[in-house]
Amino acid sequence: MIESLLNAFIAAAKIIGLNYSFLLSAYERGPWLEGIGITIGLALLSIVSSLLVGIVVASLLTSGKPWLANPTRAFVELTRNTPTLVQLYCAFFVLNMLINQAVGGAQNNPLSAFAWVVIVLSLHYGAIHAEALRAGIEAVPKVTRESALSLGFSRSESLRYVELPLAMRFALPSLVNNLVNLVKSTALGSAIAVGEVTYASLMIWTQRDNVLELMIFIFLVYGILTLLVARAGSWLETHLRMPGYGH
Amino acid sequence: MPHTETHHERPTLVQLRDVHLSFGSNKVLKGVDLNVRQGDAVSIIGPSGSGKSTILRCINGLLAPERGEIVVGNTPVHALKTEADRIALRKRIGFVFQQYNLFPHLSVLENIVIAPTRILGTDRQTAEREARELLARVRLSDKADAYPGQLSGGQQQRVAIARALAMHPELVLFDEVTSALDPETVGEVLAVIRELVQDGLTCILVTHEMRFAEEVSHEIVFTEGGEIVEHGTPQTIFHAPRNPRTHGFINALRN
Ligand SMILES: Nc1ncnc2c1ncn2[C@@H]1O[C@H](COP(=O)(O)OP(=O)(O)O)[C@@H](O)[C@H]1O
Ligand SMILES: [Mg+2]
Repeated sequence: MIESLLNAFIAAAKIIGLNYSFLLSAYERGPWLEGIGITIGLALLSIVSSLLVGIVVASLLTSGKPWLANPTRAFVELTRNTPTLVQLYCAFFVLNMLINQAVGGAQNNPLSAFAWVVIVLSLHYGAIHAEALRAGIEAVPKVTRESALSLGFSRSESLRYVELPLAMRFALPSLVNNLVNLVKSTALGSAIAVGEVTYASLMIWTQRDNVLELMIFIFLVYGILTLLVARAGSWLETHLRMPGYGH
Repeated sequence: MPHTETHHERPTLVQLRDVHLSFGSNKVLKGVDLNVRQGDAVSIIGPSGSGKSTILRCINGLLAPERGEIVVGNTPVHALKTEADRIALRKRIGFVFQQYNLFPHLSVLENIVIAPTRILGTDRQTAEREARELLARVRLSDKADAYPGQLSGGQQQRVAIARALAMHPELVLFDEVTSALDPETVGEVLAVIRELVQDGLTCILVTHEMRFAEEVSHEIVFTEGGEIVEHGTPQTIFHAPRNPRTHGFINALRN
C-alpha cells in the first residue's frame, strides 16, 4: 500500500522533472526520516528549556539585587550579541573538549552533540525570552505589585502568582516569535554533525544530484513546524486573554 | 454618631509617634502622631499631597520611616528588619487602594481565594466558601466567575474589599477608595464600608467624602504639609474646628 503510493508519487514527480528515487532506498530514507524526528526532538526540548531559562533569567534581571542582576545582564548581552553558530562552536569544540579531558576521554562524557545543541539554543533563546519577559514584568503596574505585597505575598510569590502570569501575557507575541526562530535554528545542529533533517538531507544530496528535491522537503518540514508553533501561540493567546482587560 | 460607651476603654491598636519620612529632599511626613483604638474608624482628611497615603504605607510597612515609632498591636513596625517580619505584619492588615488593583488575569473568586490559600495555607474548600460569603456580603454573589475587566469601578472596589477581608485582617486601611469611581457607584462602596465599621472592624480611611467621614468615624484627623494639624470628634472637626487651617479646609470644601 505505502510502497505503491510512494511509487506513484515518485512517478508523478518525475513528470515535472523532480527525482525522489532516494525514497525507495531504505538506506537513505531511514536516516532522512530519523532526521525529521531529531529536528522535532531538538525543537521540543529547546522550546521547553529555553522558556525555563527565560523565566529564571528574567527573575534575576528584575530581582533588584545588583549582585544577581548585573552578572545576569552581562550573560544576556554576551548571548544576544554573538552569533548562535559561534556559541555552538565554542560550546562543542572548546567546552566539550575541556570536559572530555577532565573526565578522561570522550567515551566518559555524557554530553552528546545533540545535547550541546539543546543547551546552546536554550541559553541563547532563554536570554532573548528573558528580555521579552523583563519588558513584560516592567509593564505590570507598580500598584499591582504593591497590592500583592500588601496582601502578604513575598517578593518572589508576587512574581510567581501575579507578575509573571501577567508578564507572560504581555510578552506572548514576542515569545512566539522567538520560538519560531528557535525552530529554524535547530538547523545549526548540522554544523556539528547532529543528524537532524538539514544534515540528513545534506548527506543525501552529496551522493545524488537532488538538491532542489530535498530543499522542497526541508522547506515543508520547517514550514509545518513553525506553523504549529505559531498556531499554538495564537491558541494560548486566546486561552489566556483576560476578559475586559485593555484590548 | 457611632460612639459607644466603651469607646474610650478600648485598647490602642495603632500608634504612630513622631514619624518622619522624606523622599529625597522632599520632607513628606514631619512628625506624625496618631492613635487608633481597636474597633475605631478614623478618617484622615487633608489636601492632596499632604502625606495621607504615605501614612498608610508606613503602617503596613510598604515604606519605612526614617524617624519615629509605629506600633500595630504588639508589633514595632519601625523596627522590622526582615521580609518575613513584614509579611507577618501585612497578613494582619488589609489595604484597599484607590485604583482597586485587582489581579486582572484571575476571576473574582480567584482574586479572593489566592491570598488565603497561598499565604495562610487555608484549604481550597474553606477558602472558596469564605470567598462566597464575602461576595454575598459585598452583594456580588453573581459575579464570582467574572473577570475584573468586566466589572464597573464600584464592583471592582467591592471585590477588592472582599479580597482584603478574606485574610481576616485586624485592621483595614482604605486609601481614597471612592475617588476613582463614577458618582453613581460611590454609594454602594460606602455602604459596604459603613457595615464593616458597624461590625467593629478597625479602619483607617483616607477620604474626600466628608459627609461619609462625619457619619461613620469615631475620630477625624486633619493633615496638611506632612503634619497632623488637628484631630478630634467629627462634631469638633467639621463644626467647631479649633485650628484656622482646619477651618479653612472645611470651609473651602463646603463652597
Ligand atoms: N514613591 C514616591 N516617591 C517620591 N515621592 C513621593 C512618593 N510617594 C509620594 N511622594 C510625594 O510625597 C508627598 C505626599 O504624597 P502622598 O502621601 O501620596 O499624599 P496624599 O495621599 O495626601 O495625596 C507628595 O509630594 C508626593 O509627591
Ligand atoms: Mg493619596
